Amino acid sequence: MHRRIFSHPILDFKRGKPVKIYFEGKEIQAYEGETVAAALVANGIDVFGESYKRNRPRGFYCAIGKCSSCVMIIDGESNVRTCITPVREGMKVARQHGRGDPKW
Amino acid sequence: MGNDYRVVIIGGGIVGCAIAYHLTKLGEKSVAVFEKNYLSSGATGRCGGGIRQQWSSLNNVLLAMRSVKHFERFSEEVGMDIEYKQGGYLVLSYTDEEAVEFEKNVKMQREAGLKVEILSPKEVERRYPYINTEGVKMATFCQSDGHANPHLAAFGYARASQKLGADIFTHTKVVGLERLCDSRWIVHTTNGSVKADVVINAAGAFSREVGKLAGVDLPTESYRHQIFVTEPLKDFFDPMAISFSGNYYMRQTKHGNFVMGQGDADEKAGINYSVTFRFEKELSRKMARIFPFLRKLRIIRHWSGHYNMSPDAQPIIGESPSVRGYYYAVGFSGHGFMLAPAVGEAIAEMILYGKAAHVDVSDLNVQRLKGGVVKEKNVV
Repeated sequence: MHRRIFSHPILDFKRGKPVKIYFEGKEIQAYEGETVAAALVANGIDVFGESYKRNRPRGFYCAIGKCSSCVMIIDGESNVRTCITPVREGMKVARQHGRGDPKW
Repeated sequence: MGNDYRVVIIGGGIVGCAIAYHLTKLGEKSVAVFEKNYLSSGATGRCGGGIRQQWSSLNNVLLAMRSVKHFERFSEEVGMDIEYKQGGYLVLSYTDEEAVEFEKNVKMQREAGLKVEILSPKEVERRYPYINTEGVKMATFCQSDGHANPHLAAFGYARASQKLGADIFTHTKVVGLERLCDSRWIVHTTNGSVKADVVINAAGAFSREVGKLAGVDLPTESYRHQIFVTEPLKDFFDPMAISFSGNYYMRQTKHGNFVMGQGDADEKAGINYSVTFRFEKELSRKMARIFPFLRKLRIIRHWSGHYNMSPDAQPIIGESPSVRGYYYAVGFSGHGFMLAPAVGEAIAEMILYGKAAHVDVSDLNVQRLKGGVVKEKNVV
């Protein structure tokens, strides 16, 4: 499934070079300059995590780093806001179940 | 609104609600609480929520120990889960002089029957590998200390007292007190007037103004204290960590957030609800060094409330010696939440039986301040 917009009547997309990231072990095609959340959604991944109390699916919401709906574990670090984090080659992204783990 | 009460309480924070609860529980149903804003809108709802028995004055230790007895059975007795957790209070000392004081305090606390441990920095590290103990000289720890959600505690007391017959009026400010010739009171509020036998000042930050309404001069002053909270992590941080020499306190809420604050020696007396960037900068730097797991957490809210300070940083509790029928429970100096259950009980007993039955609070009245003060040191 491809959900990328390739041509748009008003907006112009300047896509960087292709990079690979991994969502729970699965290889995903992304482009330099886009966010992790954009790459996930473009590849059909809408569920980024679950709500705390009732375990309902949660996804991309505010898209500007405010709401915490899109936090995931990136390269072992919890609570990363994927909507404002740019992709990097080889990045490992995973869903966060419940609160983040403390690190010290 | 009824127009005749035996007891009128001014202030719907934890202290006013605790007094209302204990009065109604002991059988006095004719009780009204007047709160100018909403319940727990003052210092109660803005505080850190710690419940500590490790104090430098015996009075505070005894009141706090009695309060812990009440907190332990709160959900059963009052009927609300207030997120109470006895994860202990870890009190860290960074100076040798303070460490000597702590040894003395611990001796006094143990004589009062409190189980307190003295921990070396190594032992702190062993128990809490996520705390950076750099600069720590020693620490004390009391497992039965803890924390709870102060909003829920105030609501719990308020609801329970309402069920037992008390009337609670929010958004109703007391604007005047008038003495009748039969020594009863007329309490004028923004929503009408009522009569009362006894008036209690539990107005927290506004205790002095409410004192003046009755011609009672209370030596209290309010100082702003700021506090902020981070986004949540897994629940792993059991104790409330506090330091007087390090000037900080922190706890993890049941939701997972970290609530923390520090005192500011430059603060001027007066009501001020604003917040400063300096506070955020200073505290977040300091805390991220001592508690490295905070480093990547974001601050999500920052607010302020007031410590109603008394000259010796201990509460002023009792009936006015000059104006009979006028009681107060004020000047808690930043620890009203944790003392409220015992103080509520003591005030209720004083009004109904003439004397507090569980903890002797007779030397907590204003007279103690006449001959100089011995200051409670364990305050952030």
